[in-house]
Amino acid sequence: MDAAELRAAFAIARKELQVARRYPLQLVNEVLQPLYQFLLPSLLLGATFLVGGRAIGLEAVTGTADLAGYLFLGTIVGGLVGAAFWEMAFGLKREMDAGTLEPAWLTPTRPETFVFGRAIAALLIAGAASAALIGIGLAFFGASVGGGLLLALPALAVAAASMIGIGYLVASVVLLIREPNFFVDATNFLFAVISGVAFPVLVLPVFIQPIAYILPTTYAVDLLRVYALGTRPLLDPAVEWAALFLLAGLTIWLGRAAFRRTERRMRVRGTLGQH
Amino acid sequence: MTARGDGLAVEAAGLLKEFEKGRRTLLQRLRREPDRRERFRAVDGIDLAVGRGEIFGVLGPNGAGKTTTMKMLATLLEPTAGSARVLGLDIVRDAREVRRRMGAVLSDGRSLYWKLTARENLEYFAALYHVPAAEQRDRIARVLAAVKLDDRADDYVERYSTGMRQRLVLARALLPDPELLLLDEPTVGLDPQSARDLRDRVRELQEQGRTVLLTTHYMEEADQLCDRIAIVDHGKVVALDTPAALKRTIGATEVVHLEIAAEDGAPPNGGFLGRLERAGQVAHREQREGTLAVTVHAESAREFVPAAFDAARAEGAAIRHVEVVPVTLEDVFISLTGRALRE
Amino acid sequence: MSATSLLADVHAFGAAALKEWRLLRRYPTLFVGFLFWPIALPLAYVFQARGYAGDSQAALDAFAARAGTTEVAGFLFLGWAAYMWISMILWGPGTALRTEQVRGSLEALFMTPVSRLVILFGPLLSQVVWAVWMFGIVAATLALVFGVDIALASALRALVVIGVAVPALYGLGALFASVVLRYGEVSALVQGVRGLLTVFCGMSFPIVVLPEWGRAVAMALPPTYLIGDLRRVLLAGAGLAELLPSLAVLLALGVLLCGLAVVAFRRTERYARRGGSLAQY
Repeated sequence: MDAAELRAAFAIARKELQVARRYPLQLVNEVLQPLYQFLLPSLLLGATFLVGGRAIGLEAVTGTADLAGYLFLGTIVGGLVGAAFWEMAFGLKREMDAGTLEPAWLTPTRPETFVFGRAIAALLIAGAASAALIGIGLAFFGASVGGGLLLALPALAVAAASMIGIGYLVASVVLLIREPNFFVDATNFLFAVISGVAFPVLVLPVFIQPIAYILPTTYAVDLLRVYALGTRPLLDPAVEWAALFLLAGLTIWLGRAAFRRTERRMRVRGTLGQH
Repeated sequence: MTARGDGLAVEAAGLLKEFEKGRRTLLQRLRREPDRRERFRAVDGIDLAVGRGEIFGVLGPNGAGKTTTMKMLATLLEPTAGSARVLGLDIVRDAREVRRRMGAVLSDGRSLYWKLTARENLEYFAALYHVPAAEQRDRIARVLAAVKLDDRADDYVERYSTGMRQRLVLARALLPDPELLLLDEPTVGLDPQSARDLRDRVRELQEQGRTVLLTTHYMEEADQLCDRIAIVDHGKVVALDTPAALKRTIGATEVVHLEIAAEDGAPPNGGFLGRLERAGQVAHREQREGTLAVTVHAESAREFVPAAFDAARAEGAAIRHVEVVPVTLEDVFISLTGRALRE
Repeated sequence: MSATSLLADVHAFGAAALKEWRLLRRYPTLFVGFLFWPIALPLAYVFQARGYAGDSQAALDAFAARAGTTEVAGFLFLGWAAYMWISMILWGPGTALRTEQVRGSLEALFMTPVSRLVILFGPLLSQVVWAVWMFGIVAATLALVFGVDIALASALRALVVIGVAVPALYGLGALFASVVLRYGEVSALVQGVRGLLTVFCGMSFPIVVLPEWGRAVAMALPPTYLIGDLRRVLLAGAGLAELLPSLAVLLALGVLLCGLAVVAFRRTERYARRGGSLAQY
């Protein structure tokens, strides 16, 4: 990616943030929605299983009784997944339908840069929302996330990179189908859930668990919890780090290839301007 | 008349675009069933040669293939067959380079970000056009001045009128300081004043040495603006020349519209039409309630009209309405295709 | 109101519902969604509950003591079925008027002589089919996948509970529609209300785990009674007699909410006519 292309990517990110700034309520929702749609119902469900005020069941499975910490950390990765599916991919489709993508593809900037540029903005917003949520978790819900969290930040960075690959992959599908809402909604949900964002991967049925092991986010969320809460790792952490890097590389490579193929199909079919 | 200027801005040879109707289901794809979808040709072998510095018009009714042709030249659409070069570059092989040197207006104000100001929109696109950072500010100021939006640059686009949005879309296309501009129906949806303003901007662009290729279905626009025009219908070029030369193909300089009825109110008889045909060239006739509307191409209306009245008197018909207008490109289109531009 | 105009309104009701149904049919992926979400969403919570229980009998006993049942899957599926029904109401008919306003067709609608009740409650009718479908899917999943035994008598009692809840939920939906039409900002409002309901109505938990002030809020919301009564009838074998006090409150809330909805709607319409906002947003 040359300097001009990188500048274009940052301009795309800047534009996204400028537009987002004009919808302040949506930005607030980035923090509130995970809270009331996932965190609070999950915490209250967890509270139903407490024995003497302790999450002994969770502790037996994962090695930590810090219910709030467990869930809030999961939300960070959930936010990354959401950024890939909704902002990078679905957001691009929304631009296409609105008619603002066509003039952008008339410029020398490569179409794949648009996914990358959106990713920068989406990950920034997701990052800010996650930081706010961790703060809320620490302040109001008794999460006791240790300083070990900082050790896991590189894992988050690699996970973020892999989500860009996922963003490319999802975008390559979404740009070609007419009503992508259900597809994005359902795959986003499944991706997050199977990665262990909401519950330990080990409680999944045996035939679904292998899928979890090929998702980069599974390792990201596990390493996050290992370092911040001292949970039992799914695999040897060294293996998890390796898997995370490998899968990140794979998803980025696959994603870009799929996206380029979709772009070519759109130029042949002429579907860029249709809505 | 051939293209002027050295070198060609646009050359197209046998440009063809075919689309399939409908979509294939996932099952059909997985089973690798043969593609039996109906195909239709939006562009059916178009040849073009646009000289540098020209304003070249592509005139035709809706569905003629104008937009599809423009999209191919703008590298948004891959041709099914044929080839084209824009500023000497192949539109498929060198697509990115083409986009660097060309500006296009293929859509209206809906392609802008309404939640951003005009300046913010242009800053975004300047980066996309790879305008060097050092030049960005000046370039944006220049394009805003060119479309006379400099005093409204920091207003949100949602507050702009339709005409202003269309001018901003033109400003956006000027960001790469393009040698060639593609304008697809640039004045559609604009009020007459805004449309006139936009045409003035287009003339100014030519004065700056740029080449403009525009499509329109407004014959007056093509007539007033363009050095040369290609008339397209059903994906093919049916005529290509200067507006004056095209109008001369009619073999008349004036068009007379008549409304005639028989004196007793019934439609006129065949004898009257025969007399008319001896005095001028009947291009079009249409039966309306009790009257016959006739369009005649005449060398001189001054000679034809009295002859028409004489014919009417002789055949017991009455001329209810006479209108004399100069020959237009619409008349050229009708003579070539038998249909009106605005059907 | 004459007999002919009443008949005309009934006919208009049907037409409104049919129009909503036809619009829905143009989005086939919505149908797949109606098969996927009623199973996937609660299933995720069932797995979560397994994570919380681990293999600790003490944890499971704690759940049973608080929830009043050992059927974790049944408890969660019923709660989420109710959440999805409410979501459908708020997201569909609740925003139907606002959608018409944005589309530009609201003005045309208001220019017809049809009763305002038809405009307000018509779209809600088409939701009935989906509600029946969704509850059916949930019942089938519980019976076939989790082996939850649902006796016919319990099922019928559950239908009574749902029927009693209809005025309250539809009143809520209609009230929502008026507020949304007046104030716009669909997303923030819908998410806010959805959030409120998710947190306070016991979708995924028994309301006893809420702090005291939370329980007070819960007792003012119709879905709380719907979910609680459904769980008591289908999982704890409660009879209708035991539920009478709760059903009475639900019915009363229904009357109140429908009344409020009509008042709010009339006010909104008057405001819109005065300010000309029917045609713009």
